[in-house]
Amino acid sequence: MSLTHEDVQKILAILDEAECEEVRLEFGDLKLHLRRHGSSLHLQHEQRPGDKDEGQTRRTANEEAASASPAPQQPRHEEAIPEGVMAVTAPMLGTFYRMPSPGEKPFVEQGDKVSPDDTVCLVEVMKLFNSVKAGMAGTVEQILVENGTLVEYGQPLILIRKETS
Amino acid sequence: MKHPITRLFIANRGEIAVRIVAACRKLGIEAVVGVSEADRHTLAAQLADRAICIGPAPAARSYLKLDAIVTAAKGTGCQAVHPGYGFLAENANFEALCVEHGLLFVGPPASAMSAMGDKLRARQTAKTLKVPVVPGTDHVDSPDTVRRFAGEIRYPFLLKASAGGGGRGMRIVRSANEIDGAFTSASAEARSAFHDPTLYMEHYIERARHVEVQVLGDEYGSIVHLGERDCSVQRRHQKLIEESPSPVVDPVLRARMADAALRLARHVRYVNAGTVEFILDLDSMAFYFLEMNTRIQVEHPVTEMVTGIDLVAEQIQIAGGAPLSISQDEVRFDGHAIECRINAEIPERDFMPSPGRIIEWEPPSEAGMRVDTHCYRGYVVPPFYDSMLAKVIVHGRDRSAAISRMAKALDSFKAEGVQSTLPFHRAVLAHPDFEDSRITTQWIEQDFCREVYGAHSP
Repeated sequence: MSLTHEDVQKILAILDEAECEEVRLEFGDLKLHLRRHGSSLHLQHEQRPGDKDEGQTRRTANEEAASASPAPQQPRHEEAIPEGVMAVTAPMLGTFYRMPSPGEKPFVEQGDKVSPDDTVCLVEVMKLFNSVKAGMAGTVEQILVENGTLVEYGQPLILIRKETS
Repeated sequence: MKHPITRLFIANRGEIAVRIVAACRKLGIEAVVGVSEADRHTLAAQLADRAICIGPAPAARSYLKLDAIVTAAKGTGCQAVHPGYGFLAENANFEALCVEHGLLFVGPPASAMSAMGDKLRARQTAKTLKVPVVPGTDHVDSPDTVRRFAGEIRYPFLLKASAGGGGRGMRIVRSANEIDGAFTSASAEARSAFHDPTLYMEHYIERARHVEVQVLGDEYGSIVHLGERDCSVQRRHQKLIEESPSPVVDPVLRARMADAALRLARHVRYVNAGTVEFILDLDSMAFYFLEMNTRIQVEHPVTEMVTGIDLVAEQIQIAGGAPLSISQDEVRFDGHAIECRINAEIPERDFMPSPGRIIEWEPPSEAGMRVDTHCYRGYVVPPFYDSMLAKVIVHGRDRSAAISRMAKALDSFKAEGVQSTLPFHRAVLAHPDFEDSRITTQWIEQDFCREVYGAHSP
C-alpha cells in the first residue's frame, strides 16, 4: 500500500489536532512515525520480495506544515522541483509580499543564502502581516509567486536549495 | 439585477456547495469554492470554476475563518458570498465583514439576522405580533408560585433550570400533587449542575410535530411563503426525514401558520430565504413559534419539488437586488415530496459516525427522484465534518405515491465502503406508523429505535 500526498496531509492534520507528542502507525509493510517536536516525518515503505519499487522509498514532510509557524514542505508540483530543493509554503491564505513595505528591498532574492529563522516573505490577511520564515538553511533557488498576488493555504512560494552539511 | 453578480464565492462544503455550483451554472455565474486542505478533491472543487484552499482540515481554521474567506472572495474577484447552511451562515459578524469589504452576502440583512438570532428577543417579537409561543413563565421562586401559574401554563408542564440545558434540572409535572417533589429535586439538581437553582415553567407538549414554513422575501418588501415542511422524524433534534406538505396539517391550519410566519418575517423586514419553525401540539392542534432560521436549510429540496421554485437560484438573485420572480398567487403546490438524509452512520451502534472510502456508489436516478450529494465512487468521507452522504428526494402525486417512490429509490441506492443509514430509512419508510403519520418528534427514539435496534435507548 502507498500513501498519497493527501493522505499524509490528513494524517498531519489529525496529529495537529491531537494532544499527543508522537504517533506510530503500522499497517502491513508500511511504518509511519510522526513526532511533534522532532525535525521531520519519516515514512518508510519496506521492500518486499517481488515489489516493483526499486530500492526504498523515503519521503519527508514537516509536521508543522499545518501549524502557525511556516515550514518547508514538499511542493505540490513535484515534477518541476529538482532534487535537494524544498518549497516554503503559505501558512495561510492571503496576499503574498516579498518586501516589508512598498518601495523597500525584498526580503530575499534568487541566490541569497538563508538561515532557518530568516523571514523570506509576508502573507497578509486583512491587514495582518504574517512573516514567513525559511525554515531551513540553504540558498534561494526560485521565487515562484509574484508580489501582491493571492496565495492559497499550502501553496509553494519560494524554493530553497537545502544546504548539504 | 441591481448589483450584477458574475462570480460568486461558496463558503461551504459537501452537498450544499455542489448545490450552489449548480445554481450558479443555471444563472450563468462563475463559482469559486473555498476548500479546506482535506476538501481539495471534492466534487464541488471539481465542478466549480475555481477552488481555492482557505486553510487546513479543521473547520475552525478554514470554513469558520472569516478573514481568510473574505480575503479569498475578494482576491478571486467575486462580488457575492453564499454561506450555505451551518458554518458561517448565521454569523452576523461574518455578514458585517462581507458588507464592509463590498461583498454581497447571500442571506438576510444583519438586522433581520440578529432580530431572529437571539431566541429570547425572537420570542418577545412573536408575542407582540400575537404569534403564539409555548406558554411559559419567568423565574418561579417557590412551589406556591408554581401552583399559582399552573392553571395558566396548563398541565403537563416542565420545571426547567434557567441556567440549564441537556435535560438536567428538568422535571415533568403532570398534576398538582407532584409540584413540591419536582420543585425540590429540580432546583437541587440545577444547583449542583449549574450552581444556580433558579427554575422556570414551560408547557410540555407530549405529542408534538415539527412543522416549518418556508418564506422568501426581496429587498422591495415583497414576501411570500412556499408552504410548510414536516420534519417530525428526528433523533436528538437532528432531522432525518422531511416532507411537504405536512400530512397532519389541514388547509385552515396551513393558512394560519403561513400567516404567522409572514407576520414575523415582515416585522423584521426579512429579505432572502428563511424558515419559521413551529411546534404543533397534536392533542390541541395548537401551534407555537420555536425559532426562525435565517439561511437556506438542508431540507429545502422538498419545497422545491412541490413548488418548482429553485430556492438557491432565487437566493442569489435576491442578493443581487432582483425582485422575487413570483407573487404569492403564482405559487402552486403540486403533489407530495419526501427527503431522506443518508448519513455515514451505524444505527445499530447508536448512530456512530462511519467515515471511510466509498467503493461502490450508485444513486437512484429515475423520474421523480433527485439526489443531492457530493459523494462519488472512490471519495473518502473525511472524519472532520458532518456525516451526511446524500439527500434522496422524491416527488409523487400524493403521499402514498411519494412513499412508494422513496422505497424504490432507497432499494436501488447502492453505497458500499462506508456504513450508511440507508437500511434505517428503508425500515422507517416501511413502518405502518410512518405510513399512517401516527408519529411524533419522539417516535424515532422512543418507539422505532427500541423496536428495531432493541435495548439501547437514548
